[in-house]
Amino acid sequence: MLKPDVKMELVAIVGSDRYVDQPEVLTCYSYDSFAEEAMPEAVIFPLTTEEVAEVMRIASREKIPVTARGAGTSVCGGPVPVQHGIVLCFSKMNKILSINTRDRHAVVQPGVVNLDLQKALAPHGFFFPPDPGSMNFSTIGGNVSHNAGGPRCLKYGVTVDYVLGMQVVLASGKVVRFGSKNIKDVTGYNFSALYCGSEGTLGLVTEIILRVVPRPETMQTLLVTFDSLDNTARAVSDIIGSGILPAAMELMDKMTINAIEDAVGIGLPREAEGTLLIEVDGTTEACSRERQQIVAKVQEHGAVTIEEACTEEDRNRLWTARRAAYGVFAKISPNIVSEDVTVPVSRVPEMIRKIVEITDRYGLKAGVLAHAGDGNMHPLVCTDRENHEEWQRVEKAFAEIFQAAADMEGTLSGEHGIGLAKAEYLPLVMDQDTRDFMALIKHAVDPDNILNPGKFV
Amino acid sequence: MSGTGNCGKCGICLSVCPVYAVLKEEQNSPRARVQLIKAYKNKKLPSSPLLKELIAKCLMCGSCAANCPSGVDHYSQFMEMRSQLIEKHGDRLEIRGLVYLLAKEQRLRLAMGAARMGQAVVPSAFQKKYRLGNIPVKNYPKLNKKPFRAEVPEEIPPISQERGTVLYFTGCGTNYIFGETGHAALKILSRLGYRVLIPQKQTCCSIPMLFHGGVEEARENIIANIECLQHENACAVLVDCPTCGSALRDEFPAMMRKYGLDDAVAEQIAAKTQDMTAFIADHLDQLTFRQEDAEPARVGYHLPCHLKNAAGSSEAILRQIPTIDYVQLANSGDCCGGGGTFFYEYPELSGQIAAAKIASIRESGAQIWLTDCPVCRINLAGQLAEEDGIAMMHPLSLLAGLLDELDKQVL
Ligand SMILES: Cc1cc2nc3c(=O)[nH]c(=O)nc-3n(C[C@H](O)[C@H](O)[C@H](O)COP(=O)(O)OP(=O)(O)OC[C@H]3O[C@@H](n4cnc5c(N)ncnc54)[C@H](O)[C@@H]3O)c2cc1C
Ligand code: SF4
Ligand code: SF4
Repeated sequence: MLKPDVKMELVAIVGSDRYVDQPEVLTCYSYDSFAEEAMPEAVIFPLTTEEVAEVMRIASREKIPVTARGAGTSVCGGPVPVQHGIVLCFSKMNKILSINTRDRHAVVQPGVVNLDLQKALAPHGFFFPPDPGSMNFSTIGGNVSHNAGGPRCLKYGVTVDYVLGMQVVLASGKVVRFGSKNIKDVTGYNFSALYCGSEGTLGLVTEIILRVVPRPETMQTLLVTFDSLDNTARAVSDIIGSGILPAAMELMDKMTINAIEDAVGIGLPREAEGTLLIEVDGTTEACSRERQQIVAKVQEHGAVTIEEACTEEDRNRLWTARRAAYGVFAKISPNIVSEDVTVPVSRVPEMIRKIVEITDRYGLKAGVLAHAGDGNMHPLVCTDRENHEEWQRVEKAFAEIFQAAADMEGTLSGEHGIGLAKAEYLPLVMDQDTRDFMALIKHAVDPDNILNPGKFV
Repeated sequence: MSGTGNCGKCGICLSVCPVYAVLKEEQNSPRARVQLIKAYKNKKLPSSPLLKELIAKCLMCGSCAANCPSGVDHYSQFMEMRSQLIEKHGDRLEIRGLVYLLAKEQRLRLAMGAARMGQAVVPSAFQKKYRLGNIPVKNYPKLNKKPFRAEVPEEIPPISQERGTVLYFTGCGTNYIFGETGHAALKILSRLGYRVLIPQKQTCCSIPMLFHGGVEEARENIIANIECLQHENACAVLVDCPTCGSALRDEFPAMMRKYGLDDAVAEQIAAKTQDMTAFIADHLDQLTFRQEDAEPARVGYHLPCHLKNAAGSSEAILRQIPTIDYVQLANSGDCCGGGGTFFYEYPELSGQIAAAKIASIRESGAQIWLTDCPVCRINLAGQLAEEDGIAMMHPLSLLAGLLDELDKQVL
């Protein structure tokens, strides 16, 4: 609990209904989608930038830790308040302030749910490309702060590529603005990019100017199966290597396909060792040409079946199956650990072999899932955290997987972020001087370390 | 409490919870309720009036469970937790009263009779001015003159060539309030050639009791219902209320197990239970509808959560009826905020949930708004104004009204 006089000051800012500190309610802000949990001392729901600024002025004066939260769907403990203090929850600050398709931007508050923005853009024939698996419930503020990506980021890029500017409240309570509504803007440092992926450690994002783009004319989707996982992976790196640019290219191994099929039963190829879900989009002519090129490539790599989703319904069916993957694993074991190491796409076959070898060696039940086209692996391990012996094996296996990724010039996380989950592995991919530089920036912006303390910086 | 351990805290259920959609507070989300129950179970949180409120501020719509990839059984967890918390902290007097009434058909019949008289004597000025929950008193439906089951015989023979026998579980909604739904069902079923059995011993399905901690009160009802619905020759047990449907399909077998009783018969009944409109949809080609309506009525539909989450809907049938102008409302599958007694306990919140639906039916220009669930119907009709000129009814009533005259039909 915060000191009574501090509480009074904070209540004066937001009113008693948007300041909560009963243990029952605090419990609900002690977690995200990661395993570790920690209780805040108070939760505040701001509605305006000014309120955030006022809260920060008090927090910095009192040196109270402040952890931002969107929908709490981070899978790395990002919004978990490990040093307690205040959770600033942006879920109610959720207005779409403007949509301007002539200039191709939208201005939103951080609590807007990704899907709600998509719904608002659709009638204009526009969309916001970042499509994390959590897009139906995660917030733009969270997407920005974790620099989220999704299947179609292969072609379109990740969140940072769509942030034109933002308004940020600093630890001190000062309000700053970065970027502008212009597609091109090289006026000063590109601070917006710095804040993308900063996980709430550098400031509170209170308004975001996003770039939005017209929806492609058509989309075509292929489901291709192979009789070996290796061939599947090779097909991926060959397609990308030859200059074709699909909108999405998702890889699923046999275990994943079977787990999905057990759960939703939509006729996915159970026998296949590897399956690719490939989507191309653009003009009808371009789509057809790319599809032909892809078909030729996968045949070269011994594709066993090639199925085309002709109708919108078929397409939805395939994507629903893909999105269900995370959940169906959750159903078959008490806990699942999903990692997202990423390697250059030419190393995908090698990395997948490595993942299989490591998880086999540790006797773990694991599925391989990947946004393969951009080298983003999602090995999923089924486990039970209560089983300490097994949990140790899981940890060892992941340490080896991280090391393997680092050895292949890869990185720890493609989209989920570092948070609490992977902080200790940072040295694998970032040397001391670089980490020092990161700490220097953090210290300059947040000298008292009150912004989401206890995380990766 | 099974299943809590399997919540991966993924947050998928946040995207389908009508309460979270309006309040935008984690503490009012399904994920939080599951986590709070876990904390309570692990003795990290004591029971408290606030905990009770957080668990209870839920429509029991089932959308979280239907969409949870990890198979968390929110329903039984919530139900069990509600009953533990009500035991410790009590419930509102009126709600306790409701549980008391529903537990005994006799009490319910008496109360309904009294309430009917009450409706007749309440001065209209009072009716106009006051609200119960978020619904103006004048907008509450009139109760049946006589309970539906008292109006009809226990066995109704078919009026065309006999195809088989079905059992009809009428639910309290049809029995006490919307008798016309029952009559419509009988008209269609006997036209289709079914002998309809309406066991007089049937009583409240018990769901309202179970949602309010009346696990023990529900026992007698459940057993009585199972006994009278056990019928070898009946090919189906039909329900006109989706919540009764979920009771017969899911809760009866589960509760029998919970009471430590044999669940075999309950399982047989569960396997035979079907929503009336789905049953009729399968036989639609055997019905003929009037063709002459020059200006067909514009019809909208509200899909009740308990039907949606059991993968049902009456929409398919509506698309096939030539003599109506069916408009699909974009939010027809969104929750109406009624939720049993929710609209009464949390009027403002319930109103906020319903608002978008009311706006879209008004915009659609529909004259008729259909829904299968009596609570959704009371709730939604309650928020419409007379000037809207929108009549609410069960899809069965509409269908029965559109049937061709008998003599023109080839039997
Ligand atoms: C089923 C599932 C599927 C997922 N799929 C994907 C995927 O495909 N791709 C992907 O990239 N991620 C995915 N994720 C991870 C997660 O959903 C994303 O990281 C998402 O962007 C988090 O958004 P959120 O609103 O839940 O933010 P939170 O989890 O609440 O917060 C995330 C981080 O951002 C900070 N933060 C939040 N709002 C602000 C703000 N206004 N200012 C400053 N900091 C802020 C928090 O402090 C925290 O560090 C998935 C998660 C789940 C559970
Ligand atoms: S959808 Fe299921 S697993 Fe996910 S948070 Fe909700 S209850 Fe937990
Ligand atoms: S039953 Fe409905 S209202 Fe209750 S938590 Fe689940 S989705 Fe929300």
